[in-house]
This record gives sequence, C-alpha cells and structure tokens, in this order.
Amino acid sequence: MEISELLAPDGVIANLKVTSKKQALRELAQRAARITGLPERAIFDTLLERERLGTTGVGHGIAIPHGKLPGLTRLHGLFARLEQPVDFDSIDEIPVDLIFVLLAPEGAGADHLKALARVSRLLRDRGICEKMRGTDNPDALFALLTEPAASNAA
Amino acid sequence: MLTGVHFGGEHFIFFGALLVLGSVLLGMLSTRIGAPLLLVFLGLGMLAGEDGVAQVRFNDFGVAYTFGSIALAVILFDGGLRTKRRTFELAAAPAIGLATIGVLLTAVICGAAAMLFLGFNWIGGFLVGATIASTDAAAVFLLLHQRGTEIKERVNATLEVESGLNDPMAVFLTVIGVELLSFGNRLLGWEIAAQFAVQLFGGAVIGLGGGLALVRLINRIEIAAGLYPIVAAAAALAIFGGAQLVGASGFLAVYLAGLVMGNRKHRAAIVINRFFDGLAWLCQIGMFLMLGLLVTPRFLLADLLPAIGIALVLIFVARPLAVFICLLPFRFSREEVLFISWVGLRGAVPIFLASLPVLAEIPGGFTYFNVAFVVVLTSLVVQGWTVGPAARLLKLELPQQEEASRLDFDALTGYDRDIAGYRVAPNSPALMQKFANLHLPSRVRILSVIREGVVQNRENLERLEPGDYVLCVAPPEQLHALDTLFAARKRVDARADTDEVFGEFTVSGEMQAGQLASFYSFTLNEDERALTLSELMNRRIGHRPGVGDRVSLGLIELIVREVAKGKVKMVGVELEPEDRRVTMAELKRRVQERMRARWLRRGKGRRRGD
Repeated sequence: MEISELLAPDGVIANLKVTSKKQALRELAQRAARITGLPERAIFDTLLERERLGTTGVGHGIAIPHGKLPGLTRLHGLFARLEQPVDFDSIDEIPVDLIFVLLAPEGAGADHLKALARVSRLLRDRGICEKMRGTDNPDALFALLTEPAASNAA
Repeated sequence: MLTGVHFGGEHFIFFGALLVLGSVLLGMLSTRIGAPLLLVFLGLGMLAGEDGVAQVRFNDFGVAYTFGSIALAVILFDGGLRTKRRTFELAAAPAIGLATIGVLLTAVICGAAAMLFLGFNWIGGFLVGATIASTDAAAVFLLLHQRGTEIKERVNATLEVESGLNDPMAVFLTVIGVELLSFGNRLLGWEIAAQFAVQLFGGAVIGLGGGLALVRLINRIEIAAGLYPIVAAAAALAIFGGAQLVGASGFLAVYLAGLVMGNRKHRAAIVINRFFDGLAWLCQIGMFLMLGLLVTPRFLLADLLPAIGIALVLIFVARPLAVFICLLPFRFSREEVLFISWVGLRGAVPIFLASLPVLAEIPGGFTYFNVAFVVVLTSLVVQGWTVGPAARLLKLELPQQEEASRLDFDALTGYDRDIAGYRVAPNSPALMQKFANLHLPSRVRILSVIREGVVQNRENLERLEPGDYVLCVAPPEQLHALDTLFAARKRVDARADTDEVFGEFTVSGEMQAGQLASFYSFTLNEDERALTLSELMNRRIGHRPGVGDRVSLGLIELIVREVAKGKVKMVGVELEPEDRRVTMAELKRRVQERMRARWLRRGKGRRRGD
C-alpha cells in the first residue's frame, strides 16, 4: 500500500490555522467532506468517536485520526500541517502540528489496517517530519508524503 | 609482598577497608565491559586470599557462616522492602511453585548428576543438589538493573519473587541432607514433614507478624531520624534470629517482614530505604569478598571437572526442566520459559549453604564447598554475562524509561501526600507547555520553582527551563506521572522503540471492547462486546495482566501498556503484529547475525546500539 493511493494533492493543507484539537478535526472534516462528498457532520463525529476511545496523538507532535464511514467507496487520506501546534492529549503530552487523517469504507478490513500501519510508519520517520515542518508549500509536502516507500523504509 | 598478614587490629581494618574500596572501584570498571559485578567481588576476594597476591589466610567457616547469615538476612529484608505489592501479587503463584517444587526438582536432578560425576551415594548427591538449588535474589536483580534492561513485567516479577522466596527451601533441604548424613537414616519421614511445616508456616507467621509489629513500632516512637533505620535493622535481625531459634525459617520470615514494611505507610520511609540500600550493598560486597577469601583455589582443582559437569547439568538440564514443569499451569510463552530458565543465577547462597557440611564435619565436606563454589562461578560467568542479550534475543525487553531526577522528602506522618523535588531535564515534556497551562496530574501542586538558586515568582513565569528545580506536593500514586513530566523524553535511539513494543495507538482500558472492534475489524461474541477492554484482556490473558502481555484479536494485537490495581489502564494497539514466537532456526540466525555485527563493529571502533 502506497501513500499515493490514499492521498491526492487537494488532500494536503499546508498551513492550517487552528487553536484546538476540536477545531483542527472540524477543519479536516470539512475538507474531507469536499473531497468525498459525504456530510461533514458524519465525518467529524466518526473522528471524534475514535478520539474518545483514546487519543490518536501518537507522540512527537504527530496525530493520525481515523475511522470508518458508511458510503465511502475507497480509502481517503488527508494531511494537515498546523501553523501553531495544538494540544492533542498525546501520550507524550507534546502538542501536535502534523496530522494525517485516514477514512475507510465501512467494510474495509485488512486494507484499512495496512494503510494505517503504512501512514504510521511514514510519520515515524523523523527526517521526513522535520522536512515537513520546515515547508509550507503544499506541493513539497505532497512530494514528501508520497515519496516511494523504499527511501523511508528504515 | 605482604606475606603473613594475620587478621587482627589495624591490619584487619586497613586491608578490609581497602578490599571494599577496591571492590567498588573495580566494580565500576566492570560495568563498562558488562562483567557481572558479583563476579568482581568474588574474584577480588580470591585474589586477596591465600593463593592470591595478598595471601590472607581465612579459614574460619563458623565466622563465615554467622556473618553470611547476617548478610543474607539484610539482603533479603532489603529485597522485601523493594518488592512492590503489585509485583508480588502478579507473580506469587508461579514464584511459589518455582520456590518449592522447582527447588526440589533442581536439587534432585543435580543430585543425580553429582552421584554420576562424584561417585556419591544418593544422600550425598542430594546434598550437593540442595546447596545449589536456589537462585540468588541479589544476583538476578543486580544484573537486570545493571544493564538497564527492562523485562516484560510478569517475567521480571516471577524472577524477583522466586529469588526472594526460594532460599528457605534450599536451606531446609540442605539441613535435611546434612542431618541424614550425620545421623544416618534414623531420621523419620514424618519428622522431616513436621520440620518442613514448622519452617514454612512458622517463618510466614513470624515474618508477617513481625513486619506488622515493626511498622507499628516505628510509627509509635519519636526518636532521632538516624535511629529509625537502626531500629528497622535490629528488628529485622531479631525476626530472622528469633525465627531460626524456634526452628522456623528466618530467611522466609525476614523477606516477608521486609515485604510488609515496604508496602505500608510508615515514618522515615526514605531514610530507612536509603540506609538499607547501602547496607545491602555492603553485605553483598562483604559476603562475596569473604567467600572468595574462604575458598582455597588450589583445592578446587581436584573437584573442578566434576563440578563443571554439575554446573552444566544445572544450567542446561535441571533448571530448564524444573522451570518448564513448574510454569506449565501458568500460561507463559515458550520464550518466557526459556528466559526464566536462563536467569537461574546462582550467587552467594550456595557457597554459604555448602559451608554447612564443612561445619558439621561431614567426611569429604570440602567437596560440597568446592562444587558449590565452581557452580556459582560458572553460573555468574555463563549466565550473568548473557542476561541482556538473552532478553533481546527472546524479545522480552520493554522500552527503557528515562529516569527522572527526583528528590524525595519525608512528609509528615498521617499526611497522605509526598513532597518531591525535580530537576527539569532538557527535552522534557514540561518544557513544551506554558507554565500556567502545565498539565499537572490531579491533586498535584507546585510549591516552588528555583532557577539558578533563586526562587522564581510563579505569577510571572512564562515557561520552565532545563535545570530548574521544581518542588511539588503530590499523592504517592501520582509521582510516576510527574516523573514522566519532568524527565527527558524517551531516547529516540532506544533499542526497543515504544512503537515497536506497544504498537501504533493507545486506548484506555475502560473503553468498551465492542467499540474498538468496529474500528479495527475484529469480531467478538455478544457478551464480550459489552466488556471493557480491561475485562476482555484479563479474560483472554488468563492471569493477572502484566505490562507487555499481548492479546491477539483478528488481525491486530492489543498490548498491556499500564496496569493499576489489577486493571489494565492503558492498552497499545498494534496494527501489523509480527510473529513474535521465536523458532530455533530464527534464534540461531539471530545469534549469528549479532556475532557478525559485533565482529564488524570491533574493526570500526566502538559504537552504541545495534
């Protein structure tokens, strides 16, 4: 599973201005609604429901909110780089400034998990994260995110 | 050359002190090359001994036995003080099995080996087995902690509690063996059984009762702070000696007394713990030095080959077999069983016990002593040197927690909060937040912030800085959360990164299992869906959950990340669990790989990590 199969260039927000976790999720749900054609409310609720189980802030300033949505036909990814880090209740309590949202169709099983693991592996690469923090150019961000897996497999 | 140094007066004081100093300094060096610390102490004792450079002659087995008893009592009490109630509860059942049946099995199998290699009769063989049947608490924990290795919680707990509890059994079997050899077969079966019952039950009652009484006493009396540890030490020895006098097991009693005291609120806890930390070290060093002095290496040669044979049987046959049988009912994985088998380290106890046959003037008594000595030496070299790599090979390591630099203060008795001071580490989570919005755990208050020796006005403080001192009042159970707040974040290059061990995501153990099931595509039956994650994991694991335990659900695995009061608080979710079972072929491949890597590294100079 490659990131380029999940993420389109219009799914990248290069400089999102938000002040809270909730606001960040709302903005991302709005953008996701535009891309998928599903109601914004449903997307936001799904993401929020997952956060209630436990934060998706995985540490080192990164969060990977995710969930399943009826009516979706394939996996959709979105990425946002925040202008200012926000508190995300992360495990290490470090405020988050890089967010990757992954939405999956209701019936997705192994594919969803594989994609999620792939995203998590990508964002574990500290080199790539530092580069992403250093640019607010959407094209550059998209290129960094979709670089072939071979270069960041380590 | 210092020939003819006799123990007495200034000589004794001067050379004794030099030996202890040398032990500590050499010990420091030994950690660098990863040699087991206890081996250094033992070696130094031998070096000072009659076949070594200083040629000190020390052959008084009676003095050695008495001092050894005192030292062991202190070490066991200290071990009890440090064993948390949760650790004990987590591992009590398997540990008790290992400490009784396990010790007996080990003694019998090693006894058979002794009959074979030494030509002893069955009683003699059994006595050899009995002396070397118990693992050494201090040796095990020193090694695990010395490496900074964190092992899966239940495995760690089992080893820790086992080593605290198994000395009484080995002592008992050794005494029985000596009695049988001294009085022939006149000893009756029921007499042995009665003795056994008195030893164990008497020891347990005296230990628990004595521990409670000691806590009461300490909370009742008002004395100078420095005297509290003295009271505790004297009481511990009284409990030990008293139990021994009435035929109960003092070793069991003193460990349990420590366990009770360490888990009850009492006055001067910090002073007492520090004192025992130091005292236990001194006893450890003293005991190994003394046993090193006591042995005459020249005499070891005669028994060397059979003794090495017995050591190998112990390490490769007796211990693994005993562990395997004792742990059958407890659902340990194969890797865990292998690891527990491998960490059956022998320490001072076998040598100490083997001085009993000498004291009882059993014919050939020195052979028991020599065999025990060689077995301990072999165990320390072979197993002691390889504990860390073994844990890594079997994938039982947990990521290392960065130690916070915390200063504890004694709070008032009857007040349920502690006062703790922290030095803010560079790179700690506390630095990422504004001071006014600092995420403090509940019921925690900051009393003062000190920067470069000046108390800061907290109203105007924007952010903490590395090196600041922060003084807090906190309930004891929150100290851990505070540690994380002020300590440096986990090392990025830590060998086992958190993600690898605890999975990609973290969820709360109080969540409904059914809810998680829909997110991560696994199926549960109706009544399982209604359980909390904690309950579900408890049920699937089948024993009290320990950090690092895993439950496989559909394609994912859930991992116990934090436990409190028997409940799973935090759960890790691993999306693509690798096959963690290690096959023999895989194990071999990994060993070869490591050796090759080490070989290559040697050429390029030293580098950390692999």
